[in-house]
Amino acid sequence: MSNKKKPVYIAGIGIISPLGCGVEATQQTLQENSSAIAPLHPDIFSIQNPPPLPVGQVADLADSPLPRTHRLTLAAAQQAMAGHSQPPDAVIIGTTTGGILSTEELLIEGEEDSERYSHHGLSTVAEELAAVVNCTGPALTVSTACSSGTVAISMALKMLQSGEAEWVLAGGADSLCRLTYFGFHSLQLVDPEGSKPLDADRKGMSVAEGAGMLLLSTIKPPHPLGQILGSGLTCDAYHPAAPHPEGEGAFQAMRNAINDAGSNAREIDYINLHGTGTPDNDLAESKAIRAIFSNPPPLSSIKGATGHSLAASGAIEAAIAAICIQQGFIPANTGCTTPDPALRVTPLLSPLNQPVSAVLSNSFGFGGNNACLLIAKSDSPTAVYQEPEHAPLTILGKACITGAGHTQASLETFSKLAVIGGVLDIKIISEQLPAGKVRRLKRFSRIALALAAAAKEDSGLKESPHSVFMGSGWGALSETYDFIDKLQSSDEKFPSPIDFVGSVHNSAAGQIAILHEATGANITSSGGDYSFEQALLAADSFLDEDSPSAFVLAADEAHKQFSPLFDSSISVDTPLADGGGGFYLTRQAVPRRISVQLKCYRKETGTIIDTLIADLGGKESLQTHCKMILAGIPAAVAHLGEEQLDSFMQKTGLDIPVIHYRMFTGEFASASGVAAVMATQLLEDGVVDFDKTVLVLGFGKYVTAMEFARQ
Amino acid sequence: MDTLTNDLKKKLIEVLNLSDVTPEEIDENEQLVGGDLGIDSIDVLEMVVMVEKDYGVVINNKDIGEKVFSTLAALSAYIRENSPKLSS
Repeated sequence: MSNKKKPVYIAGIGIISPLGCGVEATQQTLQENSSAIAPLHPDIFSIQNPPPLPVGQVADLADSPLPRTHRLTLAAAQQAMAGHSQPPDAVIIGTTTGGILSTEELLIEGEEDSERYSHHGLSTVAEELAAVVNCTGPALTVSTACSSGTVAISMALKMLQSGEAEWVLAGGADSLCRLTYFGFHSLQLVDPEGSKPLDADRKGMSVAEGAGMLLLSTIKPPHPLGQILGSGLTCDAYHPAAPHPEGEGAFQAMRNAINDAGSNAREIDYINLHGTGTPDNDLAESKAIRAIFSNPPPLSSIKGATGHSLAASGAIEAAIAAICIQQGFIPANTGCTTPDPALRVTPLLSPLNQPVSAVLSNSFGFGGNNACLLIAKSDSPTAVYQEPEHAPLTILGKACITGAGHTQASLETFSKLAVIGGVLDIKIISEQLPAGKVRRLKRFSRIALALAAAAKEDSGLKESPHSVFMGSGWGALSETYDFIDKLQSSDEKFPSPIDFVGSVHNSAAGQIAILHEATGANITSSGGDYSFEQALLAADSFLDEDSPSAFVLAADEAHKQFSPLFDSSISVDTPLADGGGGFYLTRQAVPRRISVQLKCYRKETGTIIDTLIADLGGKESLQTHCKMILAGIPAAVAHLGEEQLDSFMQKTGLDIPVIHYRMFTGEFASASGVAAVMATQLLEDGVVDFDKTVLVLGFGKYVTAMEFARQ
Repeated sequence: MDTLTNDLKKKLIEVLNLSDVTPEEIDENEQLVGGDLGIDSIDVLEMVVMVEKDYGVVINNKDIGEKVFSTLAALSAYIRENSPKLSS
């Protein structure tokens, strides 16, 4: 395999799943070819209408006040970090559930104290992990449904190859919860006998839980456990929940991963299938495999043994791929006794002991989200590699939505320094959207779709971008609330399939892909108050000259019940506000256009402001170039944020206008997306001189800086 | 048209948020899934929930589901035959 990219080594593996805790226990269960799928145990949560469905549950998880997903993450991370004292430069977690299991219980109890929901947010998983491993770099969260763990590892790969980081701890985690247990059941995607992927009699999946973590580095460890050679991310842009019937997106993801690795299909020794056991997934995936491999290598899905642990599954399976390479072992397709002849691929019915050099590992999810990794033995020569030099991210179109209206109304109102915060009527949000196609979508997805449409219109381009990078602090609150509400009010009898599909964090990005035929990478980031910045970081990691264009957007919806419970900047007395903003971006220099660069994303530490100033080029450079600051200080961290801003102004000696943008936008997680659009407008209008810059700074638990400049 | 079919049209509009469609515009003999209304598999599952909740009729088999949801008239007939709520 020839690859001019920086090698990325696996330095540590952490795995906790229904198969057991740790590499040894996992491997032993796989060797035994036994399934860990069993009826849901009431220790995790009790159900009102027995019998319980078969699930994959983790036994003997250490107790702590943290929610279950957080505990699974920490258990896997502890294994991956064993023997490594140096903190990683970044942590990246794929998760869909966050603290929802605990939230469900609190809601059942009628708990109204918002403090008790402090670990609801997806971003808290990565933040807790960062605290435990002393990571002061970005703590990133990706939520792309069942491909999340694989996307997280793909993102780590890109950050490492680009030289952004030397050590990254990445993986995925999800706990069982009512939302996924009843949600997949409502979609009739659960096999009542337990999942048997690729079997002629397969009837669906078994929802599961677990966590997988990889410690990855560009520095060759003494005993590398393998290498991540390549990744491929695509979107079907076809349907919110069903895979493309011909497996087109899956095919392209595998093809991209092989190409990214500089490899070819003949070099793959084992394919770890997504293989959920649903009739549609297994059929589409088998078609994609046959399109690439005329004579496929040994292949299997382990989900008949583990169940489908959603965001964790891809990371668990990447860890297992590394174990296969280390041990010369290929797991069986547990649960399958009669392979479905219609699939025309034959899974391994018993484990195989033979050398493995390269594994392709597939993960697919709702929103048509496809991710594939190529993991290989660590014997590739350390070739001469070059860090890619990228063109800037240039803004071709911009859009925002606030309480004042769409982009123009918002920016005009803001230019008079009047408040734009509030909750815009959903009819106004939806006025340019195709009514038939958005009828199932609630507020969050509609805001996101309206932003994408407006950013494209503003660009004046006929072509939509290829990729979508979406940020959201809280995702689809309406659908999540309605799902839980209908579940509880019907004594768990009538969960809504439409609300379940819509509740997924990446539902909006998936819908954008469908409406804009965006078949490239499709990543939803969830970084609390820094969600837009996380989406921009993801875009910066993935956009290259071959795939240059993307929507980079962030949106949040205000929800009467959930916003004050979950968002610590919002109390019951805070006027609700929502909306979002973002861009149609391209990785290409365009003279006179505005470019955006994420210059800083770091955790608050005693020396953070000095680091921020250094990241921004130093005091002198700031004094010469920077002419305006838009500062984001969430209400929950007002004191700390003001201190950080004061320190920044004092240390730089800057005497320029500072706008506290949340005073105008109101309090919501993705307000920085609106601020980014404001900054662009200030430069476009010439309010700030053409050779000067505008900074959008985020303060609080993390400190972020986006720099806007005319090229 | 019978009351059940008429009720189903109203529920279809409400449950699937077909806000630009009136009951009169729905032809109960037209193909339901993949037809002009833009109804897909997720909508069918939402209707499965509604049918069980409102009429006590369980449809959890794909083959039966495909027949029952072929048209609104077929759905109406199936509910009439199987609903304990309607026969009581």
